[in-house]
Amino acid sequence: MSIFYFVAFLSIFFALMTIFAKNPVHSVLYLVITFFTFTVHYILLNAQFLAVVNFIVYMGAIMVLFLFVLMLLNLNKESEPMKSNLVKIMGAIAGMSLLATLLGAFRVLEINNDYVTGNTDVGLVENLGKVLFDEFLLPFELSSLLLLTAMIGAVLLAKKETKESNG
Amino acid sequence: MGAIITLSLLGILVLYLGLYKAKNALLPVTLVGLVVAIGFEIAAWDKGATPVYHGMVVFDNLALSFSILCIVITGLILLLSKEYFRAISSNVAEYYTLMLFSLTGALLVSSYHNFAMLFVGIEVMSVTLYILVGIRKSDFNSNEAALKYFLMGAFSTGFLLFGITLLYGATGTFDITGVKAYVIDNPHTISPLFYGGILLLLVGLCFKIGAAPFHFWTPDVYDGAPILITSYMSTVVKVASFAGFLRLFSYVFVPLHDYWTPVLLTIVVITLFMGNISALMQTSFKRMLAYSSIAHAGYMLFAIVAIGADSASGIFTYSIAYSLASVIAFGGLILVKRAHGSDQFIAFNELGKTNPLLAITITIAMLSLAGIPLTAGFIGKFMMFNTVMQDYQITLLVLAAINAAIGVFYYLRVVVHMYFKSADEGAIEVSMPLNFKIVLIIATVVTLLIGLYPDCILGIL
Repeated sequence: MSIFYFVAFLSIFFALMTIFAKNPVHSVLYLVITFFTFTVHYILLNAQFLAVVNFIVYMGAIMVLFLFVLMLLNLNKESEPMKSNLVKIMGAIAGMSLLATLLGAFRVLEINNDYVTGNTDVGLVENLGKVLFDEFLLPFELSSLLLLTAMIGAVLLAKKETKESNG
Repeated sequence: MGAIITLSLLGILVLYLGLYKAKNALLPVTLVGLVVAIGFEIAAWDKGATPVYHGMVVFDNLALSFSILCIVITGLILLLSKEYFRAISSNVAEYYTLMLFSLTGALLVSSYHNFAMLFVGIEVMSVTLYILVGIRKSDFNSNEAALKYFLMGAFSTGFLLFGITLLYGATGTFDITGVKAYVIDNPHTISPLFYGGILLLLVGLCFKIGAAPFHFWTPDVYDGAPILITSYMSTVVKVASFAGFLRLFSYVFVPLHDYWTPVLLTIVVITLFMGNISALMQTSFKRMLAYSSIAHAGYMLFAIVAIGADSASGIFTYSIAYSLASVIAFGGLILVKRAHGSDQFIAFNELGKTNPLLAITITIAMLSLAGIPLTAGFIGKFMMFNTVMQDYQITLLVLAAINAAIGVFYYLRVVVHMYFKSADEGAIEVSMPLNFKIVLIIATVVTLLIGLYPDCILGIL
């Protein structure tokens, strides 16, 4: 349990650092560490598949992509958009209200819920596969449509257009 | 299910047709595919409402009717697309494919029986739109609209997912019958997570239908997107999202009516005023339609605020009226913009003289959107006001009546421009190709038919 509290503390700490870091590259690096602590959480929950996927996809692929984009964008102080204080205050109040609502909901939760403590092996690859290819086969197949769409879109938007006019 | 499979395969087939340069076959093949899909839907009518595929989808009459409506409207919009996409780019086949996939997503959203399907459906529907909004690559407005829509849409999906997660945390199931059973079995000990889940789902869905205060993306995106895509977004996507909304609230969350009604009521009132008052101040016809679509989302939410036996047929009627009128309005706008190069109200000056047919169809569309009797829009508004009346929400009714009056004002402004204002630099002839004539006349005739003989629609659901 003490490992959990330690990792949870690290998650929150690095998440806050992500927001408060002045330099965008530092911010992304803190986000990488935040994702790494999530991976540790998943392992603690015996969800090994999720841990591996999180490690490879989020920490590896997406964050590196982020870092590249940031380097290409060449952000500096002058091009940074200025937010007025009113917007900042409104954002803070709205965010805090959401946080208060959710914390209120979590506070009254019973921890020994069946869905939390029931089947601790559900995160293993074998069990996940059984659910995915049996009960959730239809959404799984239809996700292919989503991926195909994304692929067509990426090619379509990135390809150089030979003909352009205002239709 | 036949329709969903047909549309998915049709999308891939169209993609191959594009590969083999069969450009002239694209539109006919797509339309034939849509007709086949409608055939499958009609064949499944009244066949029973048991969920299939491990309870993933259900094809009850609610799902089928909304699916058919979505397919028909897509067909009408695609008929308008004959020369439209070709003017934008040479990759026409991909655009048809993307629209077909988006339609598949719309069908999934209207027939889901499991939150996993709702999520996949909404994502398929939106991801294609993020691309379609930005297809005009050299146009700055189109780029801005695509990026804005993508960021906002991804954000709202986060809300939707978090809501679904919380509901799962409370009930332990993604199946909507299971969630409903949980609500009925534990009337007094519902987990606080469940309430949080309802609120977050509400936020996510309100975003998709463009209800205030989650409407900020709507005007810019509708304005920046190519007109044909705007007409698709404001009709098919909105209708399908409402079908999903209706299924969730009328089937699952009804027992908790007292909890979410005040929230939804606030959203409705804000939406109505925000949409109508902003629409009043626009000088661009396209932007006016964007704001008016926000207002219409507000009217359609009436049926969910006062949820009851008539809600489904109310939303269905309103959707038909609103979609047909929007198709006419956007179709007319395409023609006017092609001739004048502008989508301002002034571009419509003297249209009544130069092209009487177009002017009369746009007039009927505007009357229908405003809810004037003898058009389908009146029947839709009547059904909505009627459901609210049965629930004794008098304040809402009064506010809605005020808004309907504001609506009449700005819709009729176009009509005034068409018939009573003279163009400064001489009238320009607005030509009307055959495919536009067919679509606009079909849509107008159906609008009038429903207005004169509403029983043909009201009896369906």
